[in-house]
Amino acid sequence: MEYRTKQLTRKNGIRSRKIKMSVQCYLLLSVQIIGLVLLSFYPIVWSLKWAFYYYTGVPSETHFVGWQNFIKLFTDDTSYFHSWIITLKFTFIKLPIELALALFIAILVNNRLIKGKTFFRSVYFFPTIIATSIIAVVFSNLFDYYGFINFLLKKVGLISSAIDWISNKNLAMIFLVITSIWANIGTNILYFVAALQNIPNDLYEVARIEGASPVAVFFKITLPMILPVFQIVLLLGINGTLQTGEFVVLLTNGAPGGETLTVLAHIINSYLPGFTNGVINIGYGAALSFVTSIIMCLIGVGYMKLSNKIKNMY
Amino acid sequence: MSVKLVERITKIFIYTILVLFALIMIFPVIYTFLSSFKSNMEFMANPANFIPEKFTLENYSKMFDSMQFNMPKLFWNSTYYTVICVAISVISGLVGAYVFSRGEFPFKKALFALYGSLIFISVGSISIYPTFDVLNLFNIPRSLLGLMVVKLFSIPVVYIFLIKGYIDSLPKELDEAAEIDGCGFIGILFKIIFPLLKPILATVIILAFKGTWNEYLMPAIFTLTNPEQKTLMVALIDLKNSSEGATSWTLMLAASTVALLPVLIVFVSCNKYFVQGLSEGAVKG
Repeated sequence: MEYRTKQLTRKNGIRSRKIKMSVQCYLLLSVQIIGLVLLSFYPIVWSLKWAFYYYTGVPSETHFVGWQNFIKLFTDDTSYFHSWIITLKFTFIKLPIELALALFIAILVNNRLIKGKTFFRSVYFFPTIIATSIIAVVFSNLFDYYGFINFLLKKVGLISSAIDWISNKNLAMIFLVITSIWANIGTNILYFVAALQNIPNDLYEVARIEGASPVAVFFKITLPMILPVFQIVLLLGINGTLQTGEFVVLLTNGAPGGETLTVLAHIINSYLPGFTNGVINIGYGAALSFVTSIIMCLIGVGYMKLSNKIKNMY
Repeated sequence: MSVKLVERITKIFIYTILVLFALIMIFPVIYTFLSSFKSNMEFMANPANFIPEKFTLENYSKMFDSMQFNMPKLFWNSTYYTVICVAISVISGLVGAYVFSRGEFPFKKALFALYGSLIFISVGSISIYPTFDVLNLFNIPRSLLGLMVVKLFSIPVVYIFLIKGYIDSLPKELDEAAEIDGCGFIGILFKIIFPLLKPILATVIILAFKGTWNEYLMPAIFTLTNPEQKTLMVALIDLKNSSEGATSWTLMLAASTVALLPVLIVFVSCNKYFVQGLSEGAVKG
């Protein structure tokens, strides 16, 4: 009898302690949960609602338009469609160059004959800490009509007279790609070097004794061994490049004539306060953002499905 | 002998490429730094002359009496905004990480999954409008202060993941021993766990510092109606887009140098937390 009451009180003790802990946990998380509801869920609900309205912020002009925003978006909005083409172009030009170069440099840094690995890694990583605002100022200057790059190209003899980099859409794209690679490649080099250092040295020793060629070593040892990290880097790269917005707004702001506006840059440039003059149809912007988020999500899921298939092939 | 010769040539070859690439990577920064000591006239006349012929501080002195680009004011705005935001997001990240690592409460798994999904589920920058709605509801002004309130309620998902991973690796016996000594759930966080988190907190603080100091879009939108609260990065872009900027590259390059300095100092002095922290994360992830 006495034993039972003791057990019961202990049980009660444990239960009350559990309740106390639950209350404490929720109290500690309360600020974040409020934020989750107000700053993460509410915006989604908000955009779902206003996507069906004409809405400029002026109450008297606001009216329900049904599916019209979505219909316009898919059938009639050439600038939105165009911004997707530009985004894909930017991604397909930039990523292969950046990742190939990063892997090449990482393999050189990781070579057993090389000392000062940490030093090189740090120097290459350095640009990734620089603010986009600063990059915009410095690179606009370097690629200015009277700037250093034109001077250099003239001196080397690649061009006969200075070029206006942002007056031509292809040149402006090259300008964005070069700047973006410079700003981002450090992170990829860092990840690749970390992955390469994890490959056991014995594998290379065996390959050397067997007299394997560097190309064979790369395809038979290096690439398969770093594949998991490579897939993560590729996912981050695809995601990050598709999401490029602020970077473009600050560097070219779409010049020439909107020909370099990526999707997110287009949204910032046309629908955010302070970035556009005149009336903003926020309702249409909401529809646009909603559709864009879903497409981005689908691309991410699609990539993961695909990369699982590749993994199974190996 | 010949093997050694081949090795030697390979070594020189690799070093050449690595050093050349390093020079390309730091060239824009050195160029900016050196050009900031030139007069605009000299700079425009010959952009390829790296070392200033006539060393001048006029660009730096201009930043102190220019009305449009008032460096002390801008620097102060950026500094207090960054310090407060870093404190907010690191504390929030620490608390979130601890609760999800060591706490037991109903719907823990579901809530944590929801946090993780936040990385993918968002309507992007358009959510500035509903955020304004919420601020209006509570009468919070659209200013740098208002933006800090937004930061307070935002969930620092990445920091939570980073710190949680670290707390998960600490032995649970530590907590149990403290519990027997009468330490409560919150007490354990501050007395036992917190002192052990130094390395990961250093990484998170540096990441948060870099992120906030470099931020552009949100401070730009939140200081639209309060120009005197502009941060350094916002003012730098304003200067670039203004007529004053177009005629004085060297002033902008000097301003860029000052704006880069704090992050550069942190990067050089805490390099190991930057590079190592991220590398370890990469291999684990």
